[in-house]
Formats: sequence, C-alpha cells, structure tokens
Amino acid sequence: MEETVTNRAGQAPILQQVTDDILAPLWKPGRGYWLLLLLSFSLIVIGGYIWSRLINTGLGLWGITRPSGWGIDIATFVFWVGIAHSGTLISAILYLFGVSWRASISRTAEAMTVFAVMTAGLFPVMHLGRSWFFYWLIPYPNERQLWVNFRSPLIWDVFAVGTYFTISLFFWYMGMIPDLAIIRDRNTGWKRSIYGFLARGWSGTGIQWRHYKAAYLLLASLATPLVISVHSVVSWDFAMGIVPGWHSTIFAPYFVAGAIFSGLAMVCTLVIPLRRAFKLEAYITLDHFNQLAKMLLFMSFIVTYAYAVEFFIAWYTGDPIERASFYYRAFGSYTVLFWIMIACNSILPLLLLSKKMRCNMKVLFSISLLINVGMYLERFMIIPVSLAHDFNPYIWHLYKPTIYEYGVLAGSFGFFSFWFLLFIKFLPAIPIFEVKELLHSHSAGKLEAAGK
Amino acid sequence: MTDSLNRRNFLKLVGLSGVASTVGCGTPPSRKLISLVMPSEEIVPGEAIWYATTCRECLSGCGMRVRTREGRVTKVEGNPEHPISQGGLCIRGQASLQGLYNPDRIQSPFRRNANGTIEPLGWAEAESQLADRLSALENTADRNKIVFLSGHNGDTLDRLIRQWMTALHSEHYLIYEPFSLVTIKEANRIAFGRAEVPDYSIAEADYLLSFGADFLETWLSPVGFSRGFAAIRNYREDRRGKIVQVEPRLSLTGANADEWVSLQPGTEMWIALAMARYIVTEGLSVELPPAEIRRLGILLEPYSSNRASSVTQVPEETIERLATEFAGASAGLAIGGGVAVTGDNATATQVAINLLNHVTGRVGQTIRFDRSFQVPDTAGLSALRGLVDSINRGEVEVLFIHHTNPIFNLPPDLGFSAALQKVPLVVSFSSFSDETTDLAHLVLPDHTPLEQWGDFRPAAGVHSLMQPAMNPVFDTRSTGDVLLELAKQMGGDVAEAFQVQTFQDYLKDAWKQTYGEVAGEDFENFWQESLLRGGIWPSRSSGMESQSVDRRARVGLLPQIFDFPFPPAPTKGPAEFFLHAYPSSRYYDGRGANKPWLHEIPDPITNVVWDSWVEVHPETARQLNVVEGDLLHVESAVGHVEAPVYIYEGVRPDTVAIPIGLGHESYGRYAKDRGSNPSVLLPVAADPLSGTQVWSGSKVKISKTGRRSELVRTDGSRTDLDRGFSRIIPLSALTATAVPSEEVHHQEPEHESLSMYPPHDHKDYRWGMAINLSSCTGCGACVAACYAENNVPVVGKELIARGRHMAWIRIERYMENVSATPDIRFSPMMCQQCDNAPCEPVCPVYATMHSSDGLNVQVYNRCVGTRYCSNNCPYKVRTFNWFDYQFPEPLHLQLNPDVSVRSKGIMEKCTFCIQRIREGKDHAKDEGRLVRDGEVVPACAQSCPTQAIVFGNLLDPNSTVSKLADQQHGYRVLEELNTKPAITYLPRIKRI
Repeated sequence: MEETVTNRAGQAPILQQVTDDILAPLWKPGRGYWLLLLLSFSLIVIGGYIWSRLINTGLGLWGITRPSGWGIDIATFVFWVGIAHSGTLISAILYLFGVSWRASISRTAEAMTVFAVMTAGLFPVMHLGRSWFFYWLIPYPNERQLWVNFRSPLIWDVFAVGTYFTISLFFWYMGMIPDLAIIRDRNTGWKRSIYGFLARGWSGTGIQWRHYKAAYLLLASLATPLVISVHSVVSWDFAMGIVPGWHSTIFAPYFVAGAIFSGLAMVCTLVIPLRRAFKLEAYITLDHFNQLAKMLLFMSFIVTYAYAVEFFIAWYTGDPIERASFYYRAFGSYTVLFWIMIACNSILPLLLLSKKMRCNMKVLFSISLLINVGMYLERFMIIPVSLAHDFNPYIWHLYKPTIYEYGVLAGSFGFFSFWFLLFIKFLPAIPIFEVKELLHSHSAGKLEAAGK
Repeated sequence: MTDSLNRRNFLKLVGLSGVASTVGCGTPPSRKLISLVMPSEEIVPGEAIWYATTCRECLSGCGMRVRTREGRVTKVEGNPEHPISQGGLCIRGQASLQGLYNPDRIQSPFRRNANGTIEPLGWAEAESQLADRLSALENTADRNKIVFLSGHNGDTLDRLIRQWMTALHSEHYLIYEPFSLVTIKEANRIAFGRAEVPDYSIAEADYLLSFGADFLETWLSPVGFSRGFAAIRNYREDRRGKIVQVEPRLSLTGANADEWVSLQPGTEMWIALAMARYIVTEGLSVELPPAEIRRLGILLEPYSSNRASSVTQVPEETIERLATEFAGASAGLAIGGGVAVTGDNATATQVAINLLNHVTGRVGQTIRFDRSFQVPDTAGLSALRGLVDSINRGEVEVLFIHHTNPIFNLPPDLGFSAALQKVPLVVSFSSFSDETTDLAHLVLPDHTPLEQWGDFRPAAGVHSLMQPAMNPVFDTRSTGDVLLELAKQMGGDVAEAFQVQTFQDYLKDAWKQTYGEVAGEDFENFWQESLLRGGIWPSRSSGMESQSVDRRARVGLLPQIFDFPFPPAPTKGPAEFFLHAYPSSRYYDGRGANKPWLHEIPDPITNVVWDSWVEVHPETARQLNVVEGDLLHVESAVGHVEAPVYIYEGVRPDTVAIPIGLGHESYGRYAKDRGSNPSVLLPVAADPLSGTQVWSGSKVKISKTGRRSELVRTDGSRTDLDRGFSRIIPLSALTATAVPSEEVHHQEPEHESLSMYPPHDHKDYRWGMAINLSSCTGCGACVAACYAENNVPVVGKELIARGRHMAWIRIERYMENVSATPDIRFSPMMCQQCDNAPCEPVCPVYATMHSSDGLNVQVYNRCVGTRYCSNNCPYKVRTFNWFDYQFPEPLHLQLNPDVSVRSKGIMEKCTFCIQRIREGKDHAKDEGRLVRDGEVVPACAQSCPTQAIVFGNLLDPNSTVSKLADQQHGYRVLEELNTKPAITYLPRIKRI
C-alpha cells in the first residue's frame, strides 16, 4: 500500500506536529487572508444590493426573458448544487468503501458541500418573482388551507435540497466533534467556551468513540443515497418539463455524473491552493491528487458519453423540433460557449491520462478550474439555451445576461468563499483525528516509539 | 370610546401605522368606488352601461358601442347592428380609447403669446376674446378673411360650420384629409357622370382585382371590407374566390391575396387599360353597343399587352391571363385605391379601372352606385396651395384649424408652416398639441369623439349618431358649442342665425328636420331609439336590398370618355428609386402615433414596434451592402430622411417603401421624435384632374450612413419551419374530402389513455375556440381589443427588445414565401387552454390550475413567479411581469375594473376573458339556464372584423365552435405533445 501521508522529507509527521500543522491557520491569519475575506464580503454586499434591487424593482433587471425564463439564476443554482456533490461523495461514499486517501480532504470537501448548498439555496429563492413569498413553497399547515403542488418538481427540489443540506450539515458537524475537542483543549477563555459547547463534552473515551463510529457510519449510509437523489431531483426540474433539450430520461444520471465531476474539480480548485498556503503538503499528498484526478478523468468520460447520448437520441427520435434544438445548441447563437464547454469537459481532462499531469499541481489546478468553467457552461447550455430555441419559433429570443446577473453570480462566489474562509479560520480544515488514525494504522510501531 | 375612534377604527389605525412605519411609505391615496359626488341614477356600481356611438378614427364611420363603468369609458366595440362595421372594429378604433385618455391631451384652453409663452385661459375668457376679435372684423370683406380648415367632420357639425361661416360672411371652409378619395369621385364623374364613391360588394365578388387598394388596412372602409374579404376567402359551395393585388409593394392586403402582381409604381393604369383592351378585342366583354365597342377599341388601341408589359414590367401573359380570368369571373370586381394609385395619374388610373369594370359589366353588379359611400369633397393639394398663397397675400386674418394636421402631412415645400406664422390669428380646436397646433395662437381644445355629440353619414342611407359616453376627462369643450357661443357673443345677425344654445340641440333639430316625417308624432321616442341603436339605417332584413331598386340600372359611359387623354408613363433615372410612402394600418395618416397600443402592437408585415423603417428588397440591400437596422439616408429633390433598413422581398428592387405616420416633431410623448416622416420627401405635386396630393412615385436616392438604429421586432423567426403553427390546405384537398368522416370525431379516446391521471370532469362547459385562418387577415384588432379589455400594460421599445412584450394574444406572422403567389401566414396565438396543460403540473403552488369549465386559470395572488409554467408552455403564451408597469394618468382611467392589474413578479396570460364568462354565467344562473351559444364573446373574437375567432362551449354539440372544431381539416397546434388544446385552427385554404 502506498504511503498516504508523508512529510516533505518523505517521512511521516509525528502526531504532535499533525495537530500543530493542521491547526496553524486558526491562530495567525495573514494579510492575504484578510484581503480575501474582504473581497468575499464585498462580493456579498454587491450580491445583496442587487437582490434588494431585484425585490424593489423587479426581476426585469436581469436579462432573463421569454422564452428563457431561467438563465444565470438557475444555472448557478444547479452549478452550486453540483459542487456540493463530491463533498458527500468523498466523505460518505468513499468512507463506506473504505478508501483511505479520503481522510485528508474529506473535511474540506464536506465544508464545501455545506457552503455550496447554502449558496445554491439562495438562488431558487432569489429567482422567484415574489421572493418574499418563498415560504409558500413549503407545505406548512395554514389557515388559508393552501397547499403545495406535489406534482411540481420544484416542490421535490425543496425537499431534496433541504434534506441534503440537513444531512450534510450534521455529517460535517459530527465528523468535527473530536477535532473541536482538541481545539477546545488548546484554547482558553470565551473561545474555549464556544468550542467546548460545540464539542458537546467530548473527552475521547472508548464508549464515546464507539458511539461516534456507529453514528458516523449511520450518517454516511444515510448521506450516500442522497448524493444520487439530490441531483436526480434537481435534474427532474428540467426533465419533467417538455422543453426539447430538457425532456430526457438520461437527465438523472447525467446530472449526477456532472455534479460529481464539477464537485471533484471544485475540491481540487480549493484544496490545491489551501495545501500550498497552509503548507499541508505532508497531509494532502500528491497521491491524493493522483486519485482525485483519476476520478475526474473517469467522470469526464461519463459526462462526455452523456453528451454523445443526448445528441444521438435527439437525432434518433427523428423529431425535427428536438433535432433543431440540439443543432442550435451546437451550432446556434451560443456555439462558442458550447465548444468551450466540450473543450473543458471532454477534451482537456484527457491530459489526466498521464500520471505526470495528474501529479503536476499547476496542471491539475488549471484543469480543475477549467472544468468548473465547462460545467457552468453545461448548465448554461441546458437551461437558457434550450429555452431560447424551443417549440414556438415566433417567440425565439436570445438570452443575454445583464450586469445584475453577473453581479449575483459573483455574489454567490463571494458568499461561498466567505463561509469557506471563515471555516479555515475557525475550524480544522483537515480531520486531525483521522489523519492520526491513518498514521497510526500505517506505521504503528514506529510512530508509537516516536510518540513516547 | 368616542365616536371618532371606536374599536374598529383603532385596530385599523394600529395596523396601518404599523405597516406604514415598517414600510415607510405614507398612507395610500383615498380610493372611491364612484368618483362622483352625486352619481347619476343610471350608474350602478359593477354594472357596465353601453352607449352607441360612431368611431371617428378614420373616414369609414364604423358604428361603435362604448362600455362605461362607474362613469368612465373602459372599452369600445363594434356595433353589431351597424351596417358598416357589423360588430367588428379595427385596431385604430380599439385604440380610440387612448385618444380619449391620452396623457398628452390639451387639458384646457390657452393662448400662446408672441414670445411663445403659454397663458392658460378660462373658457369664458377665451371665448369672449375670440368673439371680440371676430366682431372687430366689421365689414364683409374683412370677414371673408376668416378661413376654417378642418378634417372631415360629421354631418351636422359640417352643416353648423357651414352655417356659421355663412353667417360670418366667409366662404372659406376647407376640408383637408391626407388620404383623399376624391380621385375615385372624380374618375366616376369623368367616366359615368356620377361624382360618387360607389359601394363595392366585396362579399359578393368571387374575383377581386385590387389596384393597390389596401382595403383591409386603411382604404375607404376596412372593417366592412374585411368582412367581405372573409366571404371571398372562405370555402363556399366547393369553391373559393380569388383576390389579385396589383401593387409595387406587397401590403398586408396583398399578403392576404392569392396573387401579387408586382409592377412599376404608378403604372397601374396600363394594366387596367391593357386588360380592358384585351377583353374588348378578344370579345370577352359583356354585351356592349357596337358603337361603344368600336370607340373603346380606338381609345384603348395604344394599350396593347405588349406595350403595357414594357411599361409596367408585368409579363404579357400575366396581363392577358388576368384579363381572361377577370372577364370570366361570375362576379368580378376591380378596385383602385391606396397610395399605389395616388401618383400624378391617379384619376386617370381610376378612369382606366372604371373602363375595366364597365366592359366586364361589373358596374351595377358588384359596383353599386345605388348605395354609395358618403365621401366629402376634400380640398386637395391645389386648394391648400391656394390657401398658402392667400395667406402670403395677406388675405387671411383668422384661421380656424379643426382636427387636421396639415403641417405633418403636407410636403414641407408647400410652405404651409411658414404661411401659418403669417396669419394674425390662428385658432386651433385640436385635442392634441400636434405640429399645426403648436403654431396656433389660441387653442380651444375640442372633446374627443367619445365625449361629444355628433353624427356621421358613412354611406347612403346610413346615419350614425355620436353621443358622449362620459363626462369630459379634461376642461375641454365641443367645437360645436364653442361656435354657437361665439355666435351668441358676437350678437347681431350672426347670433340670429342660430336658435339653439348647444350643439346637442342643434344636432337634435337637424335630425328633426331630416327625419321628422319618418319619426312621426313622437320625435323624442325616435331620437331615443336612434341613440340606443347608434343611428338609423335600413334594417338588415328589409333595408338595403329593398331600397336598391335601381341596382341593375345601367350606369353608362359618358361619350366624352372616348376622348379621355390618358397620361404617358412615368420614368426614373438610373440611380434612383421609386418612393412608396404607404399609410400604416396602425398610425393611418399619423393621427394614431400618439396612442401607445398602436406602437406596442407590431406592424402586421414587418413585426416592427415603436419605429418606422425603409423597406428594401434583398437584392438592393446586397448592392448597398446593408443589413437590417442599418440607417439609410433617403433623399429626394426636396428633402431627406433617415430610417433603418428592413429587408423585405415584398418590395420591388427599384422601389423603397416607408410607412406614413411617424416622424412627429410634436404630438405628445409617444409620437414625438420617433421614426421618420416620408412626407418631407414628397414634392409639391398634385394629380391634375382631382388636385389631390401625390404620394407615390416620387424618385429618391438612397445611401448608407454607416450608422445603425436597431429595429425591434417581435418575430423570433420568419418562418414556422413546418412546425404546424400556421397551416394551409389546398382547396382540392378540401373538396375531395368534404364529407366529414366518422373517425375524425373519435380521436379522443386514444388520447385519454396517454395520461396517468384521470381526465378532467367538465360538467356543463368546456370553453373552446375555433380560429379560421382563411379569414384572419393579421390586422391586429384582436390584440388591441385584448389590451383594452384585460389591462395589458404597454412596456415600450426597450423592453420589447428584451423579449418582455406583454400581449396576451399576438398575431404570429410567418413569411413562408414572398413571391407572385405570396404565402405570408397570420396566426393568432394565445393561451390554448390545454386540457392537459404542461404549465399546470409544474407550478409548485397551484397558481395555475384547471377550472371546472376547462379553463387553465392563473391565480395572480398565489403566484410566486417561478416562471416554470412559461418555460414549460410550448406555445410560449404566458407573460411575466418583470416590473410594475405604469399607466400614465389619465390612461389608468381606462383600466377595466373587472380585471386585476397585475403587479411585478407574477405570471399572466390569456384567460378567454374569464370576466365575461363569469358575467355570462351569472346572467344564465339568474335565469336558471345554461349560457347560450354566442352569449359570451371574448374581446378578441368580438373585435375581429372577419369573425375569424369563434368562442363557445365545446360540450354543446350544437354550438358554432363545436361544429367548427369538428371540421375535418381543423388542427390543434403541437397536438403531438398531448396538450389537448381547446383552440382548433382551421387552416388557410389555398386556392389550388
């Protein structure tokens, strides 16, 4: 078995050092951190301002129109839900399969999941013409005897995303309890109280560990089907519609694959700079990235296959409207975006066939970033572009996003990074105990000696 | 607790202040149910009151019914009993509401001082000042320096003005209308000795040959003719009539014709003459006296098909084929009109058309002099040139201008504007500050036609009444009343000429004089009945036909006609283009330009909104290297305009076409500085025989400016890509399977099985529609009616450019083929009220759902605005409120109180006028019965001049709509999606 945790000299770090290294960001944030935080916050302010304008003036500020009633708003929603995917994939599914390399990146991935769902959740509310009535989508008993329409995929969405968020949050929090206890023990004063509260009296006794392991396994098992279900349901937002380019049975697996693909890419995009900034090379090793990159490559194949199937089926149906819609997607007004998407999602990842590329952080970072771009474009191609060219040719109209759409898109990145930055400041980005556990299991004797 | 603050009020106050302090926007303005201190007894809140009146948006004089609610006008509709409109109303008639409530109306009288400042006046002051001024002109010679220039007035107002002018000893009463029909009158005088515009029985014709007459748009009586058009175009007794349109630019009327003969502008005369010659020489004519045949032969000798072909550039075979077809038709009819025949040979062209009709025996058959149109003797360009000359000679002391805007319509070279500034006193009665009124010294705003008394005689035997449907919106006064008041104040013989105080009395007296005998003893009763009906006319069953005793009486050619000098052919230089300035079916001569609906509803052919354009043939565009939206410089000998290019195969390569109506320098916020006015390109030229202004055939040079001005169109695609949105069916297919077969009726069960859900249970009603595309002309009247009825907001050019058009019904125009056999299709598209509606299951909050009547209802209050319903609607007929839209005061007074005004963030769509259905059902319930067929008519169907839209209950097998929906050739759009639409389209029958 390969070494999964090594220090720069190729030696495993000692346990004390593990804790110090991982918790380092918690004590002394540098100037760069504050600048990033300020930038994220500014983006949130911009996004918030735009939302207030949208509420005050109307959604007309956006470029969405008829026929493209959804555009950047819903594409961004799907994008962030997609990002949210690999967090659970890495921490829950890989956990169940006993994949050991997940340990170092699982916390970051889970945090990413939680924040991405939070970010995603803003958009279905924001995109409502009357977002102040968003709670009408929730089936709560009310004296007006109004109820929601359970036939609408949008209601399924409320449940799917809501459930996913709840489970992900618990899963993330559960996994952090032992680490929170470590931080508690290293702090004094009010910080100690807060971390103490969050650590829920963890003292690391055997019985606690036994219960903890059982609960973690249970939550992991609960979360696993959600990885499949959430994005399947999100895909049904479209597949249940009759719009050519939406109405397809391939959508659920297609979206899940796309989500995992974009999520893994986002993990790389976040972890590579994080690893470098906080000098965590000892914990997140090239081998981790090698494994991630292999998964990326695999997902890229699946996504590419889905593209091919979509086009094949469109042709195979013989339905001229369906065909026209796909022809438009590839060669219509948005053709440039389409081919960028193909380049980013299907062609560039082929570089990862080479191990050299997989282990080159610059290359992997660039590819992962471009996959994010490509996957965003995929959502854009599916949502507004399909709508822009649907059944009624008389009403065809180009969708051109306005500054207000780009503003909320930027705001969503600000929102996400704001939480993420707070996370790396206040919580351990790498699970300390799991890394220790890993070290322990790999070279028990050697470490034991070193520990004494 | 005191009386002023009881518990209820206290709670209200607490609630209100709570809301006010949180929201921070003061208390809402007080709203009154009835905005009158002492409401009239007949006003019942919630009940509409209808008044019959006459539309005055053009010269047709369509009968109109005006719906008022709580004392304000909310809707106009065609008067079903009226012989001209027969219940239909055109787009401009529908928009007359926005004249009444126009936010830029002149609200009270004012004086414009020498330095240009505006000084508001009270009516008493204004009238006394004017009366003094008129009295100061003491002797007869001075009084003859008073000129009254007016648009075409109603019968009695015309009489009053004449009488008033006579009393003042002035003989200068001029009527100016830009689109004059005097050429037809003059041509009929020359040919037949009857200076009249006869009735054209389009409905009875089976072969209609139109020389440029845009009879579906602006020519003579478009609403009435549209009905006739539908009769020709529809299938009757295994055949269908044919319409041939001869014009250089394919108009909306041409687009609805079966054949388009494109000819060099201004050469229509040659076609008509060559056809007549061919008919006479080939012996295809009706029996004519031999002498006449001989003399006609001599007269027509120079107009061989060959020669006509070289002049008109129409193939010889076409001319001869048309002649054969026309002569062979059992009820042929040739008409000439529109700007295509307003060249300097306009009257000669009409004479040629008269000859053609004469030799084929159409006069007395489809051309009826026994019931002619009442067309005023309008002053042509020559007369106005005379007026300008007299002004320049100082012979005009006071000029009254009433409902006409000559500065906008006349060629600027005539110098009318400069002359006007030399007149010591210009008094305008205009309701709007247009270009001409802006130069007036004293403005005494008239009521709009919906606020005033009057009458109108559109055709012989038809005498329509106008009555005020509401109190004046502003401090305006009827011109008739002003004239009477002036007469009274001037005293002496002028005052003595009039016995009455008000124009209403004057009108009534006039009617008493005319109809005293008909009315018998009880004139008051007759008057009230006439007001209720909207005027008097022969009733449909007994009337028209019984009167037309002399229908077959020959109207023969005058002997002088054989010496008639037909003018030579027009010529143009090599680098020049013919200018074809044509009246817009929306703006007419420009008077529609201040009505936002007319801007917002796209032009039927180009689908452009809020703009004007230059139509250029693709070949010309290629030569000039221009694409749509490139700004083109169009220059004639006298002026130039700039307008964006619209590339249109329907205009000849040697011609450019510009719509008339926009390019105002004044006329309110909607008209000012929008588009361009082709009148500035026109030379001061008149047809020598009738003196009317020359609109067509001017020569222009065009060049590219290099700048762009994006045209905003509502069509996303020029064709429907065979997706079956608007279909055609050859006549042969229809005759072959004319017998309805059984299987067609019973396709339904197969469809039912395709749903997981049980079918909807419709107890008494399943509302549906049938739209006959053979009848639909694409005029857009239905769209305007819908705007008025359903409070659809106007969003403007910028938002339409972003796809935010709010219309609930639109005419989808598909230009499948623009050639000699044009295939331009029009298809009204609105909510299809699907039985299996894709919008319904996707709404998360049940804001759109199926009603028990089979309607797909939209619950505005419940809508949160996900827009999924719109995304999932394959017809894309739902519109979203992207903003809170404004109805600038007083346009908000027009809002229909039965329909919610939607706020931002919610979806809306066609409801089949659910408020009308509700009203109909309520009435039926009161009487313990079901709604009768035809009892409920949505606004679109009501307005349709051709009755292309039929609404009713599909569950009633005897309803008209059921019968139409069961037609074998009917189809439902995108039926393959299993949406089960409630609208059945009957394809356009193609004549092959």
